Parts: sequence; C-alpha cells; structure tokens
Amino acid sequence: MTLAAGSAWQETRPRQPWRGLSLPAGFGLPVLVAACALLFGGLPFLRLAAAAFAPGWQFAPEAALAEIGSRAAVNATLHTLETAGLSALGALLIGGTASLLLGITDVRGKRPIAFGLIFSMMIAPQVAALAFLSLFAPHSPILGLLGLSPEPGTPNPLLGRGGIVLVMALHHAPLVAITLWTGLRSVPQSLIEAAQMEGAGAGTIVARILLPVLRPQIVAAALLAFVAGIGNFGIPALLGLPVNYLTLPTLIYRRLSSFGPAGLPDAAALSILVALVAGLGITAGMLATRRTGGKVEIERPLQPFWQLGRARPFVTAGLWLLLAIKLGLPFLALLGEALTPALGVALSWQSLTFDKFAEVLLRQDVTMRAFRNSFLFAGSAALILALVSIAFAYALERRMSKFRRVVEVVIELPYALPGVVLAIACILMFLKPLPLLGVSIYATPFIILFAYIARFLPLALKAPVAAMAQIEAHHEEAARLDGVTLWQMLRFIVAPILAPAATVSALMVFLVAFNELTVSALLWSSGTETLGVVLFSLKEAGLAGEAAAVAISASAVILLAMLTLDLLAKRLPQNVLPWRI
Amino acid sequence: MRTKASIAFIAAALTLGSLPAVAAEGKLVLYTSQPNTDAQQTIDAFKAKYPKVEISFVRDGTPRVMAKLRAEFEAGAPQADLLLIADAVTMEGLKKEDRLLAHDKAETSAYPAGVHDPAKFWFATKLITTGIVYNTKAALKPTSWLDLTKPEAKNLLAMPSPLNSGAAMIHTITLTGTLPGGWSYYEALKANGALAAGANGDILRQVATGEKLYGMIVDFMPIREKAKGAPVEFVFPSEGVSAVSEPVAILKTTKNPEAAKAFVDFLLSKDGQALALKQGYVAAHPDVALPAGYPDRAAIKLMPFDAAKALADEAASRKRFSAIFE
Repeated sequence: MTLAAGSAWQETRPRQPWRGLSLPAGFGLPVLVAACALLFGGLPFLRLAAAAFAPGWQFAPEAALAEIGSRAAVNATLHTLETAGLSALGALLIGGTASLLLGITDVRGKRPIAFGLIFSMMIAPQVAALAFLSLFAPHSPILGLLGLSPEPGTPNPLLGRGGIVLVMALHHAPLVAITLWTGLRSVPQSLIEAAQMEGAGAGTIVARILLPVLRPQIVAAALLAFVAGIGNFGIPALLGLPVNYLTLPTLIYRRLSSFGPAGLPDAAALSILVALVAGLGITAGMLATRRTGGKVEIERPLQPFWQLGRARPFVTAGLWLLLAIKLGLPFLALLGEALTPALGVALSWQSLTFDKFAEVLLRQDVTMRAFRNSFLFAGSAALILALVSIAFAYALERRMSKFRRVVEVVIELPYALPGVVLAIACILMFLKPLPLLGVSIYATPFIILFAYIARFLPLALKAPVAAMAQIEAHHEEAARLDGVTLWQMLRFIVAPILAPAATVSALMVFLVAFNELTVSALLWSSGTETLGVVLFSLKEAGLAGEAAAVAISASAVILLAMLTLDLLAKRLPQNVLPWRI
Repeated sequence: MRTKASIAFIAAALTLGSLPAVAAEGKLVLYTSQPNTDAQQTIDAFKAKYPKVEISFVRDGTPRVMAKLRAEFEAGAPQADLLLIADAVTMEGLKKEDRLLAHDKAETSAYPAGVHDPAKFWFATKLITTGIVYNTKAALKPTSWLDLTKPEAKNLLAMPSPLNSGAAMIHTITLTGTLPGGWSYYEALKANGALAAGANGDILRQVATGEKLYGMIVDFMPIREKAKGAPVEFVFPSEGVSAVSEPVAILKTTKNPEAAKAFVDFLLSKDGQALALKQGYVAAHPDVALPAGYPDRAAIKLMPFDAAKALADEAASRKRFSAIFE
C-alpha cells in the first residue's frame, strides 16, 4: 500500500525539484523569503520579547516596563540618540564631501584615497577607539612630537560624549561614502550634459541637480549611519564606560556582566528599547527612500564633470589629510603601543621590540586559531549571504509587493539590535537542544554562523536590492513567456545580472565579520575564538601591546585581501569593488 | 616465563611510579581568568610533561567565565573540564551546588592548613594581592588606602569593577569589611572622582600611560610591567591588602577525570609552583621563593576575609557597588 502510494506520488511529481516554486503561480519563493526573515530576524526578537515580558513563560511585563522607564535607561536612551544623531550628521558631512569630491571632480589619486577610506572602515570600531585613545593619552609620542603633551593625569579629551561622536562620525563616514557612490552611479550622464549645454556651472549642477536627485540616497546614507551609531558597542564601550557615559548597548552589557544570566530579563527589556529606537530610524529611512519615479535605463553613468583648476592640489591635500587623521595617526599610535616593551615606555630605537608580535603570532596557539576561525566564519557567512541575497533581492523587488516592507523591517531587526543583544537572543534560543532534532548548536561554530547570517543579512541585501530596482523587467518577462522555472530564472537571468552587486555584498560582509567582536563575545567557546574576542581579552588582561599587535596583524590581513581583490579587478565584473570609482 | 612476566610487571610498576601521568591522555578544556600569555605558558609546561593530553583553554574575566559556564550548565552541556579562576568564593559556591569533583589523592602535605579546601574540591595555586599602583610622575606617594581619598588624588584614581574582575569583587568585599566606615570609604572615593570600570588590565593601561595617576590593582601586573620599564610603582598599603588564591578545580561533569587530576597535580607540584614564580606570581607553596620586586612573604599583610560571609553577601555587595558608581 505504502509502496504503491509512494510510486504514484513520484509519478505525479516528475524530476523537477522546484516544481512547487514554478512560475507563474509561484508563491514558493515569497513564502521561503518570509520564512527566512522570520527565522533570522523575527525569532531572535520574539525570543527576547518573551524573555523580557514573560520571564519563565508567564506574562509579567511589570519588571520590564520598570526597567525601560528607569532613570538609567532614560539617560542611556538620550545618550544613544544624541551620539548616534550627531555622529550621523558628522559622517554625512565627512563621507558626503569625500564621496562627491571623488565622484565628480578631477581630484588626483582617487583610487588610493577611496581605497584608504574603505580600508579605514574595516578596522574594528573598538580598535579605532583604542587607537584614538592612545593618540590623545598624556604619554602619546605623537602629541609629544608636536609639543602638545598634556600634564600627566590630564583626563583624555576623547572620553565621553564628544569623543564618541567624533570617533563614530569618522568611523561611519565611509559607510555614507559607499552608499552615495552607488547613488552617483545611477545618475545618467545625459542629465549633467543637458545642464552643461544650458550653461550651468559645476556648483549649480551639484546644488540644483545632483543633490536633489541624490536626496533619497543622502537620507538613506544618513539613516544608515544613525542606525549603525545606535547599535555600535565598541566605541561607547571604550570611550564612554570609563567615565560612566552609558548608551543603551553599553548599559545592556553592564547589566549582563554584573548580574550574569539573572540579568537576562533586564537586558532583554532594554534590547527591546534599542530595537524600537533603531526601528524608528529604519522606518524613517524606508519612508524617505520610497521610490516615486519609474526606472531609468542608464546607458552612460555619471562621469566626473567638475574641473577644479587651481584648487585641485588643495582639495587633493585635504582628502589626504582626512585619511591621515582617520587612518594614519591612530595606526601609528597602535604601532607605537605594539613596539614598546611596556606600557608608558617612550618608543625609541633602543626600546623597540618585536616581542609582542612574536608572542601573539608565534607563541600563542589561540591567536592563530582565532585568525583561522574568523576567516572561516566570515567567509562562510559571506558566501551564503551572497547566494541568498540574489534570491532575496529578486523576491523582494518583484514578488512581494506590499508585504515587502514588513519583511524588510523584520530582516533589519538583528542589524539594529546591538551585537551583545543578538548574542543573548541566540543563547536563549539555542541553549537547550533544538526541538525535533535533539542536538544543541550552542558551543559549536554554527551558533556564531547563525548570528552572523542574521546580523549581516540586511547588509548583504543592500547592494543587490538596489541593483534589482534599477533593472528593467523585460528580460524576466521574456523568459517568463518562454515558460522557464523559477530556478532557471534565478540561475540564468537574475544571478548573472546581480552578480556584481552580490559580490560587493559578500565582500562587505566578509570584511565586517572578520573583525567582529560584539556578537562572538558571548557566543564563542573553546576552539571557536574569533579575532575580536582575542583582542578584547588581551586588552582586558593588561596586554595592550599584544592587543595592538593582533589589531595590526588583522588589519594587515584585510589590507592584503583588499589588495588581492584590487589586482584581480580586471577579471571581476565592473563596479564590484567599492573603492574602484 | 615467570621471570619475564615479573620483570615486565616491575618495569611497568616502575614506569607508573616514576611517571604516574603517562597514563593521562585525551582532551581537556580549561576555563581560566589568567592572562592569555600565562595561560598558554601553563598549558605548554603541562604538555611538556603529559604530551598525550590535548589541552585547550578559554580565557575571560572571572565573572564572564562564570556567566559562560552558568549558561552551559543551563544547556546541560558544560564544556570545561577544569576551572582556574580568581577566587575561592566562586569555587565554594560551585562546591555547594555540587558541580565540582573532589580530588582526594591530591598531594597537599607541603602546604599549610587553610590554603586549600579541606575537602579537596579546590586547590589554591598562588597568592594574588590587590594594592595600590601609582604613576612615578605622581606627586603623592600613597601608603594607605585612605590616601586615595585625599584632594591630591581627586579625579586621578581608577579601580577595576567587581562586575568585571573576580579579584576586584573579593577586594571590594574585603575593604568594605575591614576599613572603618565600610562602604562609606567607597562613597568617599566616588566623591573624590574615582572611576570604577573595566578590569585590572585597563587600570594598568590608564596609570602607566598617565591618564590616571593612581589605581587599585592586582600586584603582579604593575610589578611585571615595572621590571620591563613602565613608569609604575606598586604599594602594599599599611592597612594590608586583599588577596585571592587563583584556585583550580575539576568539574564533576568532566569526561577525562584522570587527565584533569594530572593537571591539578601538576599545578600543585614543585614544577608547577616554580612556573608561577617564573611568571612573576607569589606561589602558594610556602617553600617557593618570591619573585623579584616583592617584599618578604612575612611582610605582606593580608586583611581578614570571611569567605562564607562573602558568598552570602556577594549579590548585595555587587548591587551596592553599582549603586555608588553607576
């Protein structure tokens, strides 16, 4: 009976694994996408909400509401809004100016400058904060050279609100720049030429045409920086915690580290608060960038049209100065720390030592393992997300219509949650063995991989979704008339078109995940240490020099990866590498 | 035949007698709060003796090691075989919860009574005291805990938070229990602009780089760093210092008790204790000399400390500390 039924079932389903998803009546893909969004975005959030409002699975919201309304939480919320808002404005100013100068003027040496800007973003935020801290410390050799050494015991001027805003603005500026470059590429050159024929000067074109056309991207970039600022942990942790200036992520971290698992309900309640604040930012971004016009077929993308003339060397120098401040000085400070034999010793040819590098690179197994782990976790997440993002972009843009906004908000949630919070959600979800399967992924690499996929999915989607929105649907319509399956459509039509955008996504995910700390800080276990974890641990154990050596080595790996890609650029599709503008 | 067998037997017995641990093999996971370098050295030294044991470690501040372990208890899958963390109070707590494995055969006769757990659930490995560190550029050379409340130290003192460090937790409980006025001492520090955040490593960085001039800190960090040339000085204040013993214990859930016991034996052995000395710690073994930079063993005055009371009051102390400094 069963056998017969089985074979009958097989007969009705010939070899066509995607039949269930086949066009034109295919609901399969949207359902699949919605399910993934729920798994990676909704589930962690719901689990947190349950932990906050129903501890022990009994509805009891009083404690959570009290926590959300507490003085500490209100203060932290204000601090979060303040630092995220101001730093987003700063990032928009710095990143926006840089991207316009590189995108539309004839400034010299664009590629190395763009390369440097993007490289500076790949340095982990806590490393950037640490570097700026040592730069302004009373013993700083660089301040000493300039004759600006403050009295010993002078508080570091970077500690507190101002420092957080400054370092965060610098750190998120490249994020703005990349978003605007993508926007600039979608401006048709004919628009500029038309204006030039009317006799408009470069300034007028920028003010009257370019900025209005780019408005959605500008708003999107600013809100991206704002949301990134809300979720940032490393910078306020290093610059705010020592002076008790707490933002929501650092407050959550404190609650957790002071009360352990007993602090989970409080931390969960505060996490909901962060998600709400960040959710506001995301929704605002979606409203602002809602497309009104139709799609433009671009034959020729924007070319630089602004001849700087005599101002050219000054503008070039200005951009290099920005790089020196953003990348050069902190890196020198780090290098100084890594090369001195002990904290507070003046660096000289006599005192210089490579011992810290030898210690972390040759003598400690854990550091080498961390390099391998970070490479593996970041690489797998990048690969999976790049593939998934193609199907997601297609589904969101073409198949989800009104339902799309909801799915997008759900997907964005884990990116908006501070990493520490996402990690807690993952622990809550995976601590006990999985239902049905009976295995626990806690304390395995898979819990970190799950968290990375959840966290970086929105990042991976940005470029492919934007690219999909620019593409006319006629290829697909033609294919649909030919009756191809969904799988064939994705594989042979959508994937080749979106490949460059998906490669950018994979690249960004890899570079961001490689130095990631806040998610893995709580999820690692013996054998799955990541670079971020090792770095933080070294710093906390008083081994600042060793931490600096790890930070520099990790940055060198990133630099090498970026240089390799740059060498391969000719073989990659156009516009894949964000710094090749 | 008979002689051959007995020779083999004697040979085996001899081998076992002289190298009791060759039998130990397999995997071990150590959760520890030792700085990475020290943890790696300890493991390397153990591996040199027991090459068949594959041992890896997880390092973090004691509170976070414990948070991780507690989460794993909850999941029913503790990953650690061994625990080597800052303080005995935490160990006592675990012992009460029946999480630890007694190592009855551990050889402790060389140690004075009261150093280790009499029931042999945990064993002290070294003595780490918390005193005062100052930057050599500082005008005031503190000699007493009360000096830190003076105007000269206003806004210039950093201390580790008990929320980040096991040693800092014991230190806070010891100071508030010993100094006249108890918690009002910490309130005075707060009024004097003291900052309490981070772990001992952060305090070392701040004082050595001159961002702050005074700090409360565990002894070995500034003493080691001073030997390398850092502009810091460590003081054992006149009232005495607080102390932790960095105990080691085997978890009941270990899958490899033989190797775990070998690790404990190694730490308690002369060799293990000599390694502690080499790393710059005061070894728990009374016959092992003190590292350079320390006063005489007898000259280090320890403040009294009631472990049972500390265990009972730990959560309250933590809340009280947060209320003052957050």
